[in-house]
Amino acid sequence: MTATAERPTTTIFRRPKSTTGLWGWVTTVDHKKIGIMYGYAAFTFFIIGGIEALLLRIQLAQANSEFLTAGAYNALFTMHGTTMIFLFVMPVSAAFMNYMLPLLIGARDVAFPRLNALSWWIFFFGGIFLYSTFIFGTSVAPISPDGITGNLAAGGGPGSFNFLADSPDGGWFGYQPNAGPLYSPGTAMDYWAFGLQILGLASLISSINFIVTVFNMRAKGMRLLRMPVFAWMSTVVAFLLLFSLPIIAVALFMVAFDRQFGTLFFAPVGGGDPILWQHLFWLFGHPEVYILILPAMGIVSEVLPVFSRKPLFGYSAVVFAGAAIAFLGFGVWAHHMFASGITPVAQAAFGLATMTIAIPTGIKIFNWMGTMWGGRLWLSTPMLFAMGFVAMFTIGGLSGVTHSIVPSDWQQTDTYYIVAHFHYVLFGGAVFGIFAGLYYWFPKLTGRVMSERLGKTHFWLMFLGFNLTFAPMHWLGLQGMVRRTWKYAPEAGLETWNIAVTIGAFTIALSIAVFMYNWYHSRRHGRPSGLDPWDARTLEWTIPNPTPEYNFATAPEVTRLDQFWHLKYDEDEEGRAVRKPEADGLIADLEYDGRNPKSPIHLPAPSYFPFVMAMGLPIIFYGVIYHTTMWGKVMIAIGAVVSLTALIGWAMEPLEEPFSPTGDDGAVADATAPRGGVVIERADFLSSDAEEEVVPHE
Amino acid sequence: MSSEHQAHPTPGQYWKIAAFLAAVTALEVAMFYIDRQLGLGFLNAAILILLSAIKFLVVVGWFMHVRYEKPMISRFFTAGFVLACGLYLVVLSALGVVAIRGG
Amino acid sequence: MSDVAASPAGAEDVADAMASAHDVDLGHHEEHESTGIENRKLGMWVFLSSEFLFFGALITNYLLYSNRGGFEGTYPAAIYDIPFTSVSSFVLLMSSLTMVLAHNALSRNDQHGARTWLFATAALGSVFLGGQVFEFTEFIVEYDMTLSTNPAASAFYVLTGFHGTHVAIGIIMLLSLWGISRRQNGLSEKQGLNLELVGLYWHFVDIIWIVIFTVVYLLSIPPT
Repeated sequence: MTATAERPTTTIFRRPKSTTGLWGWVTTVDHKKIGIMYGYAAFTFFIIGGIEALLLRIQLAQANSEFLTAGAYNALFTMHGTTMIFLFVMPVSAAFMNYMLPLLIGARDVAFPRLNALSWWIFFFGGIFLYSTFIFGTSVAPISPDGITGNLAAGGGPGSFNFLADSPDGGWFGYQPNAGPLYSPGTAMDYWAFGLQILGLASLISSINFIVTVFNMRAKGMRLLRMPVFAWMSTVVAFLLLFSLPIIAVALFMVAFDRQFGTLFFAPVGGGDPILWQHLFWLFGHPEVYILILPAMGIVSEVLPVFSRKPLFGYSAVVFAGAAIAFLGFGVWAHHMFASGITPVAQAAFGLATMTIAIPTGIKIFNWMGTMWGGRLWLSTPMLFAMGFVAMFTIGGLSGVTHSIVPSDWQQTDTYYIVAHFHYVLFGGAVFGIFAGLYYWFPKLTGRVMSERLGKTHFWLMFLGFNLTFAPMHWLGLQGMVRRTWKYAPEAGLETWNIAVTIGAFTIALSIAVFMYNWYHSRRHGRPSGLDPWDARTLEWTIPNPTPEYNFATAPEVTRLDQFWHLKYDEDEEGRAVRKPEADGLIADLEYDGRNPKSPIHLPAPSYFPFVMAMGLPIIFYGVIYHTTMWGKVMIAIGAVVSLTALIGWAMEPLEEPFSPTGDDGAVADATAPRGGVVIERADFLSSDAEEEVVPHE
Repeated sequence: MSSEHQAHPTPGQYWKIAAFLAAVTALEVAMFYIDRQLGLGFLNAAILILLSAIKFLVVVGWFMHVRYEKPMISRFFTAGFVLACGLYLVVLSALGVVAIRGG
Repeated sequence: MSDVAASPAGAEDVADAMASAHDVDLGHHEEHESTGIENRKLGMWVFLSSEFLFFGALITNYLLYSNRGGFEGTYPAAIYDIPFTSVSSFVLLMSSLTMVLAHNALSRNDQHGARTWLFATAALGSVFLGGQVFEFTEFIVEYDMTLSTNPAASAFYVLTGFHGTHVAIGIIMLLSLWGISRRQNGLSEKQGLNLELVGLYWHFVDIIWIVIFTVVYLLSIPPT
């Protein structure tokens, strides 16, 4: 051990050693395992959010339907939006970033592995906390100040599924004072506010982790402008999260205080200003939508070049356009408020700013097209989804530009036209991009390739279903179909297309069933991928599949963008790619060398404490919701003790503690581990920076 | 106080900086009372903001050591500060609390 | 084990190109492209820059409501005790001095001095917090201004309350470092970085108060 002051080690609970089994997952700090857990959790919420959508669509397929009560409808669209945004798209992006970012930059893990695990567990418990509202939440009909019972939407009335009405029903955007104490009494919206608070904390911690990782842990020679575009987009997203989450944190505290402690921030009755909520919410909310789309744009920027056998057209432009979108994205939030009574000058300013975002977005779209143009296209499933992204996102972007024209937006606001827009960019955009990534990087997780036949079936069913669902919403909206309203009259003439939309929604559901079967089946029976199934370009494909626990057997050294491609291909006089004769040998070598590290590798050791610390947070918030009772106060205390104890244990956990993965005999249980008797030493470090102290081996 | 510090200020220099900060604080409080007497309006606000800015920059530059750190640190810090000021000034303008010319 | 020399010709230099010159033996840290700033330090600075957005929202909220007319009940700006707050601001400012002195002492390996100044910082911070508690109690008991009196009061309490919470967290961290140093008879170099990081956090909390003192206390006027 290096000479340091003697530090007592925690002896109450022994340091976990296992990397296998359930306990291995609970205590892991491995970015890949964390990414996988994020992915499965996110996908579970995707299914739940999808079921919520299908229920909405059944209701809307008929005029004056009584399939759902108004209260159930409000709860379902609130939870559908909240789930899809905070519990699906954000965590699945986190899944990709967690798994892929270190691989793309040539690192062994992120800068703060235990903090990484903490982010995941906070998200996990936060998601459960939020959804527990379906069991514990209450939502009663509000009584307005003049003593008249408020709208029947909070519960009761014609229709069924009314038990759902006891869940958050103030919209995913929680507009005040509707979602405040006066008009949303009961606990449902408290679960919403505190749930989002917890989830936001997880993302904030992650963002700090990723920023430090990208700035400090790139492999030798991996200059920032040699990083793959997905790594760049992850960095940009981390900055967006970093600067936008504190704003929503304050806003959520304010609404929580209004609801719990009687403050008067948003209650007009007491002098509060509801427009303040809108500003604070959208100051976060607009950067949030770029947080949702930029990772998918990054994925598409990885997939298109590989399957066009051409470099990304205008790499620097794509990178800078991404950064520009993020930067400008902070300046447009009030375009969500054009109909809220802001001044004409504000409307003009924000309308203009919104139009300018079309410029960097357009640059990216043209560059993607330029990538494909003249390429030798391989229309694999990931490529289909990537191309689908480009087309569908363009449509969604164009409808977005129509919103930037203020008088036009006044007609569109609160109609289904807006719903069409954001589903084109979020589903046709983000979700398609996510599926492209899942098919593309599946071999890294499993060492196998997903079925192309099933993949194409999935794609075409989803493409068809998606367009059938959301295209009609454009004209339904312009014909006057209003958002967030549980029924429409037969005379409105909206029913025919609504039926089509519902059929489309179920088609999407069917396509997802195909995907799930493909995933499950290919994990075990898919064709083995080998090291380089896609003839790819970037660093993550230079190591064996499935990814070894230590990622890189030897730390890579990078000399140019798309280095892997250039190791395999020369260019002839006409600029065409010609495969080098040594390329196959190279791949075989990389495969062997990747599985047989020549020297011990330091990896971060597993830890209980992130799991335990994360568990304390929801307990505290349960207590706060019921703080007027004794049990509430007790829960606050218990939760605080749990988290604080974990924090102390974490701080006391020795910085370095070498051990071998399964115990004393040195045998390694991990199937992908190297042969040849090389023991992977584990060390725990808060940072793997210049100060890391070396533990002498043997 | 020499303008050229070594890598770290000495304790003596830190004490001097602290004395400077205390003096500026005293000035701020004095301004408060002076304004109560003389009603300086906008000038009062300007002077007080200036004095606080000086304190702010001194603590950031010397106590937080930014003067001696790599530029990246001051860039991050400034970015957060500038973004916050920009965004919230626009919000305050939209809510009618401050008037940006034409806003 | 793979022997590079036995690889097919041509692949050798390729394999070299993929390997770092510095990675081998004993897991010594591989060379990274890096900013040259330690991970934890960079992380703390990144976190602090996000806190501007947090406190900015709270200050904005206060500025919105603090002199908006028409509310019932007492406005905070009408009841500030400027001399009292000036003293507690001075106390917090001086705690930044003791903080840098602690860091300075540790850099000269003066462990006892570092401990003393750490404790002094925590003590001064506690005096500041005590002042806050006293002020809040005065406001509630004497002037009947609570969280629910009016939006201006709500904004005042939430802004200064969150600041106070940050101070309290800082005091906990300071005392933890102090306690660890006592128990181990000194802080190691790595723990010294932690002291620097706690210092950065502490100074940040101080500069937020510099802004609050001016904007909330000195410049705030209740509506006529």
